[in-house]
Amino acid sequence: MIACLLIPGFELRAALRSRPGLSLVPAALAPDLSEEPLLGPVTAAADVVGVKPGMRLGEALATCPSLVLVDRDPASVEQAWEEVLRRLEDTGFAVDPVEYGVVVFETHGVERLYGGVRPALERALAAVGSSWDPRIGAAGRRFTALAAASVARPGQILLVAQKEEESFLEPLPLSLLPLTGERYAELEGLGLRSIGELAELPAGAVAERLGADGRKAWRLARGGRSAKVRGRKPVAELAEVLVFPEAVGNELTLRRALGSLLERLLARPERAGRPFRKLAMSARLVDGGSWRRAVTLRDATAEVARLRVALGPKLQELPAPILELRLEAVEVAEHTGQQLALVEPAGEEVSGRLREGLRQVRASTGTGSVCSVVEVAPWSRIPETRALVVPRDE
Amino acid sequence: MVTDSGNASARRTARRIAGRLNAPLPALVESEFDDTPRVVNRQLVVLVREEWRVVDRWWTEEPVDRRYFEVVLESGQNICVYRDREEGCWFTQNA
Repeated sequence: MIACLLIPGFELRAALRSRPGLSLVPAALAPDLSEEPLLGPVTAAADVVGVKPGMRLGEALATCPSLVLVDRDPASVEQAWEEVLRRLEDTGFAVDPVEYGVVVFETHGVERLYGGVRPALERALAAVGSSWDPRIGAAGRRFTALAAASVARPGQILLVAQKEEESFLEPLPLSLLPLTGERYAELEGLGLRSIGELAELPAGAVAERLGADGRKAWRLARGGRSAKVRGRKPVAELAEVLVFPEAVGNELTLRRALGSLLERLLARPERAGRPFRKLAMSARLVDGGSWRRAVTLRDATAEVARLRVALGPKLQELPAPILELRLEAVEVAEHTGQQLALVEPAGEEVSGRLREGLRQVRASTGTGSVCSVVEVAPWSRIPETRALVVPRDE
Repeated sequence: MVTDSGNASARRTARRIAGRLNAPLPALVESEFDDTPRVVNRQLVVLVREEWRVVDRWWTEEPVDRRYFEVVLESGQNICVYRDREEGCWFTQNA
């Protein structure tokens, strides 16, 4: 079965770990400065007084003037999420993280170990810990598992048998489907309220009215495609931290600190001579918030000078003086060095650059982002069956 | 203690599911009495270059019965559209 573990409002929960008292008062995660001023997740106390996630900031403050806005804390969120994933991996699950608070995994490999699906999922819940209020949905298909997790109560495991998937999805609200606000309004205008009502419509009519998105939503309303879960490769912790005795905002000092961190990171024996492909810098700000930037290198390298050039400019983006600077190797290349040939074989350089470029894209956008086209039936008269797009992660 | 629309998570996750290569896209088509396209995606058809039918998989639960048209629009764009006779609607596709 495919299981989905959901922790609603993960970013707010992670940000509140250092200020637990705020979880009992009306509080909400502050909007991201680069986006629309819409609220993130809210506490139960805020929900009770009518403040909802996704509400406009002005409207929320008018509804609840005592609302506390919690600053985003990307470094804590990243760290907390990695802890959750590692605890699941330690329990034996090959996890596929979707986003903060949502992770999908197969139970097939550990069912015999724990004596069935439910005991295995109970182990997963126990591994994550009740403080996060996790809930799990499991079904034969990914979307159904996610839908089940979305309606489960904290600490609940909701199993949906394969033959019951359609009837399970039927009464659920349309808001579970990946549609834009305009599309919801259109569907509501047509009198549709549940996933089942959408699934009953003819596919062609939905596609004609709502376009490609509508067609995808219709397919999901019928359970979606059955696809296997590809677990991530567990990553080795490779990070260095520098704690300052007092807040530092001077660029020269920060650059020196970065240089020191780079040297310490390069000296780590776990690196085994391999160059870095992707690095992340994070900092704890003097006012309590945090800051994080990830950098994917064009060529994997272990040269200090090149790493300084790539990472140094990011320090100028720091919004406030910092108390702590952390440098983490997110991805390390597999090769230990580049052996140059005296005479390159014809075409070898181009294909080498292409491979390197693909690795860079994969490192910055995640697994499954690079695909190759495989011809399966080039003779077919039906154009969409001639070729398939297959993820190419190796 | 914290609430979030799990729905939002579900929506974002579902968006990650990849589509097929060269999948047909719904098209807005106004047709003549004989079902030949007159207007495609709000552009007038100036020439129907070719027309053919694809009938396949009639022995399965998902039969294919399409009438393809390769047309030239008033903007000069060359496009392939087909009417799906099973679903009764129009799509564009690189045939």
